[in-house]
Amino acid sequence: MTETTLTPSDAMAERVLKTVRQSGHLDVAPKRQAAAKAALASIPYPTTRDERWKYTRTGRLQKLNFHRANDQPAPAPEVLPGFDAHRLTFVNGRLQSGNALTRQGMFIGPLSSALAQCPEKVQTLESDHFAEDEWFAALQASAPQDGGAILLDDHVTVERPILLHHHMTGGTTVAQPQHLVILGQESKAQVILWTTCDHDATGLVNAAITAEIGERAHLTMEIVQDEQGEAHHIGHHQFRQAASSHLEVRTATARSHWLRNDLHIQQNGQHGDSTFHGCYLPNGRQFVDHHTRIDHAKPDGKSDELYKGLASGSATAVFNGKIMVHPDAQRIEAYQSNANLILGERATVNSKPELEIYADDVRCSHGCTTGQFDDEALFYLRSRGMTETTARNLLVRAFLAEVLDGFRPEIQKHLESVYAERLGWN
Amino acid sequence: MLKIDNLHARIGDTEILKGLSLNLDAGEVHAIMGPNGSGKSTLASILAGREEYEVTEGSITFDGVDLLELDATERAVAGIFLAFQYPVEIPGVSNINFLRSAINSIREQRKEEPISGKDFLAKVKTCGQLVELDGKLRDRSVNEGFSGGEKKRNEIFQMAMLEPKLAVLDETDSGLDIDALRIVSEGVNAMRDANRSFLVITHYQRLLDHIVPDHVHVLANGQIVHSGGKELALELEEKGYDWIVEPQAGKA
Repeated sequence: MTETTLTPSDAMAERVLKTVRQSGHLDVAPKRQAAAKAALASIPYPTTRDERWKYTRTGRLQKLNFHRANDQPAPAPEVLPGFDAHRLTFVNGRLQSGNALTRQGMFIGPLSSALAQCPEKVQTLESDHFAEDEWFAALQASAPQDGGAILLDDHVTVERPILLHHHMTGGTTVAQPQHLVILGQESKAQVILWTTCDHDATGLVNAAITAEIGERAHLTMEIVQDEQGEAHHIGHHQFRQAASSHLEVRTATARSHWLRNDLHIQQNGQHGDSTFHGCYLPNGRQFVDHHTRIDHAKPDGKSDELYKGLASGSATAVFNGKIMVHPDAQRIEAYQSNANLILGERATVNSKPELEIYADDVRCSHGCTTGQFDDEALFYLRSRGMTETTARNLLVRAFLAEVLDGFRPEIQKHLESVYAERLGWN
Repeated sequence: MLKIDNLHARIGDTEILKGLSLNLDAGEVHAIMGPNGSGKSTLASILAGREEYEVTEGSITFDGVDLLELDATERAVAGIFLAFQYPVEIPGVSNINFLRSAINSIREQRKEEPISGKDFLAKVKTCGQLVELDGKLRDRSVNEGFSGGEKKRNEIFQMAMLEPKLAVLDETDSGLDIDALRIVSEGVNAMRDANRSFLVITHYQRLLDHIVPDHVHVLANGQIVHSGGKELALELEEKGYDWIVEPQAGKA
């Protein structure tokens, strides 16, 4: 064989896969892994010339010189101290703490244990083909690492929240956690997915959530991305909904240096109901990109999308929301809204709705606004004795209220403290 | 208490106040009347600390302090309250949360303890009754979807909650029907005492039937051109401003 020079993206993929394999990955859904590997070889690396990656500069990721993280990392910082939840903590794609809970019709624990204890339950992952169309998703699916597995049979309700925490340590390492949520018919679960990084982290978290929601099942997922340092994060968040199922997914990008989320919801059954709200608060030179897509494939579905952002300093925020209404999807109601406040003179917001409607009896609406602080409101509050800091915080809270209020109070409180600190008013 | 001396102020290139002087003692109610465009609202804005206006000459002292050195927040802390002509709607901030933040922000700057929940609610109840502001309005977002009358009653409610030393009412009567005018006026009258002063800015005399001033001033072309007792308001209602205000070419 002759030696050939690898392209930068091939070289990057090789470095990532080598690092991930050294620290350990899971042989979950082998067919999906094989398909992802094949896709990785054939899909071009995304660049700003691709419409979907127009504002996302991925070139910087190719320059990261990944190394394997310490096998015995320090404990991850505690999140939501005192909050009662079934907790599973992962560091760099490996389980650090937390136990599997196995009962009749239910498994809650690390995916690695699910693979050993109930391999038949994780088979569903084989039917996920998302990774075949996206380079970074293909990279992740080629060597997935450990993450949370919440596998409920029919008619199982789990009242206690499940807190999945992934932490990445300092230096330039890479982690590819795979979280899997499968809810059988009429099952119900509340999941919190929290990601953190060390202050000196500069690596890449290339993470996937794959969720399959059965008929009349109900999933609420609160995602908090609260990453210190200068790490990079690409999130592949996939939700497939059966008939009459309910999904609420709320995403807060609190601190993140460079982040891209791809949220994709498929309503594959009639009467699906999806709420997806999000907020992002980049400052400094941070970059946050939320790409969302909902496919209304069947009739009578509802979707409510609301994303709100604050961009300060020289930060860049991107929102791209696609609503795809398939020919069969009559009588659906899809609502999308994106609102941004620009607080920095050099901050940028790129917001783009995309509606593709192939059914004729639908109600779809979308709206997007980008503005600055309402000076008149600020003066009104100050004339009542509030300091500028108090007044601004109150206005920011008000701006974000519709999104923040959907999170549980403990998370709201955390997010409030983050933006107050992030915006430099405290 | 408030001493305005030879005040000149402009916005952009337009000079609006051209040597306004006024003295207001503790416990007094002064009314400022005048034709449209005479500078009445500019005076209110400058007293509250609106930054778009530039004071080019003259001085304002409040309780011996140079008011022009204070920003809008500091003026409120010093005890000045402006009832806005056009109260601002602030979606997402409840009236109650807003007032509690304001009161505690003022207390913090005055190095006082925050108000207790119990005291705050008791005060909300008393002050709400004063202007017949029911619980629903108190819990709604600040001024959002309020009628004109509700907005003005909310201004007086806030004034009662904040207990200022000097309240400036900027055309509080505009957009009020007879009932709302009576409620607002009764609220103001209930707040009158020996240590609190009011500067009531209005275009019409009818408000002054309810809030009876100690002094009435006519503001025209950026200056106080005439002062008198409460009977001056009636005279102005009857005769208009022409007999006092010297006609100026090109000015209203």
